[in-house]
Amino acid sequence: MNKIVSLTNVTKSFQHKTAVNDVSFTIGKGEVVAILGPNGAGKTTTISMILGLLKPSAGEIKLFNHQPHEKQVREKIGTMLQEVSVMPGLKVREILELISSYYPNPLGIQQLIELTGLTNQDLKTRAEKLSGGQKRRLSFALALAGNPELIIFDEPTVGMDITSRNRFWQTVHQMAAQGKTIIFSTHYLQEADDAAGRILLFKDGAVVADGTPAQIKSRISKQSVSFFVDPEMSLEKLYLHSEIDDIYRKNNRVYIQSSNTDRVLELIFQEKIGARDIQIERGKLEEAFEQLTSGAKEAI
Amino acid sequence: MKTFKMQCKYEIIRVLRNRYFVFWSLVMPILFYYIFTNVVNTNAPDKAEWQAHYLMSMTVFSVMGSSMMTLGIRMVQERSQGWATFIRITPLSDTVYFAAQMIGQSVIHMLSITIIFIAGALINGVSLTALEWIMSGLWILLGSLPFLAIGTLIGLMKKVETAAGVSNVIYMVLAIAGGLWMPLEIMPKIMQSIGKWLPSYNFGNGAWEIIRGNMPDWRNILILIAYLAVFMLLSKYIRRKQEAV
Ligand SMILES: Nc1ncnc2c1ncn2[C@@H]1O[C@H](COP(=O)(O)OP(=O)(O)OP(=O)(O)O)[C@@H](O)[C@H]1O
Ligand SMILES: [Mg+2]
Repeated sequence: MNKIVSLTNVTKSFQHKTAVNDVSFTIGKGEVVAILGPNGAGKTTTISMILGLLKPSAGEIKLFNHQPHEKQVREKIGTMLQEVSVMPGLKVREILELISSYYPNPLGIQQLIELTGLTNQDLKTRAEKLSGGQKRRLSFALALAGNPELIIFDEPTVGMDITSRNRFWQTVHQMAAQGKTIIFSTHYLQEADDAAGRILLFKDGAVVADGTPAQIKSRISKQSVSFFVDPEMSLEKLYLHSEIDDIYRKNNRVYIQSSNTDRVLELIFQEKIGARDIQIERGKLEEAFEQLTSGAKEAI
Repeated sequence: MKTFKMQCKYEIIRVLRNRYFVFWSLVMPILFYYIFTNVVNTNAPDKAEWQAHYLMSMTVFSVMGSSMMTLGIRMVQERSQGWATFIRITPLSDTVYFAAQMIGQSVIHMLSITIIFIAGALINGVSLTALEWIMSGLWILLGSLPFLAIGTLIGLMKKVETAAGVSNVIYMVLAIAGGLWMPLEIMPKIMQSIGKWLPSYNFGNGAWEIIRGNMPDWRNILILIAYLAVFMLLSKYIRRKQEAV
């Protein structure tokens, strides 16, 4: 695999607090990865270390097989930080020109406009006079200015309206299609699910789950098959199958919880229990997610 | 190289767009110059010499101010608004960044010097030999180094308001006590002996000597170098302490 980012046993401790605790993962070329987790989970700290802004207390981080702060690495990455910042005193076009000049193969201003939705009016405005959302757009354009191979966004959509948000994700998909590697952090499972091919679930400074959105979802939300059945019918037989996690009755319906609902259907017919009005239900995902990330660790 | 040129160009544009700069470094010195050479009667024995002397005072005053304030406050602004962090992620090297800032400042200083000199020539018909104009201009350009170092010290502060307040106070104290507003000779003895050790007096005195046909005193040069060294070391030391996270 073509490794773009690799973290090996990375820990970051501040005076009184371990913000990131023994985290290891690698990200390959072309992956779109969401770093998902609640406030204080260690997302920004991890991203800051990947960007070389913070030094890990222990462990090692490599980007393109080099140290994060090397110039040749910096030429290949683009980023949008959680705290948006702009250079006061310059117009948007001037800032874009200036930052583009730092990179060997920058995108043109025209392309940046198309990708980010900056308007011609924005280009003529001084950076400090932009609105919050416009600043975000500028910040997005700055991330793309150097035509980076690896793009890192820390909570990119905070403060964007629906239009900008859609535009943003549309561009991210476009970048992904070009084979760029993308890492972004978010609080929202929905956002991670929509945009990422892989989710790193952070909690209390550790990676508690790492997989495709479908894997993560099936892991955190219990799916079930429910149906009506003759109350006399014994369901004993079903208990014998290890794929089934739990069986209970609610409002005359029988609920069978399992991560493999296909297999449950198969069993229902195989055991000929006479189920009627069969439904497949997915537990409330957001609820389960909230429980997972705010409750005790054993919840998984 | 392209990066470097761009960086210099935009550093200069930013300074010129800064209202504080235009006010404190161009408008104020020229206004003061006009007032103290035309409106207020200073009873100077040699009027032409006083006009040239005070022109140097005001140019020094201007360049000293933009060295400390423009550079310092901008550094704080860039850091507190997160721009400095963003720049660290780009391939721009620290050396290029620093060099461009210094070059940018120097171009700005040359501009201020030229404008104020021209104002002097127009307002009072100050006439110096070509060598004196050039030498005094060069002296003011180079002599600003310790003040740029003070600027980097101010640039280490956390808040723009504090930085602006502190640098303003230092600026005024240095200007008055260093004899840039009124010559030291008319101040009390004790002020005179303190003033002679201030960087502002030594900065000014070099230029005052040049327009009188002399060379700057060795003492002036040594004291300015000493201040430069102290401020640079101090700034390096504080930065090291701040970075230790
Ligand atoms: N400079 C610092 N000094 C001390 N503690 C810090 C520092 N930076 C972060 N922390 C702590 O480390 C933990 C992780 O913070 P981090 O900013 O990485 O969280 P996050 O996942 O990005 O949260 P959010 O979603 O709120 O942005 C928090 O408890 C925070 O208080
Ligand atoms: Mg964060």
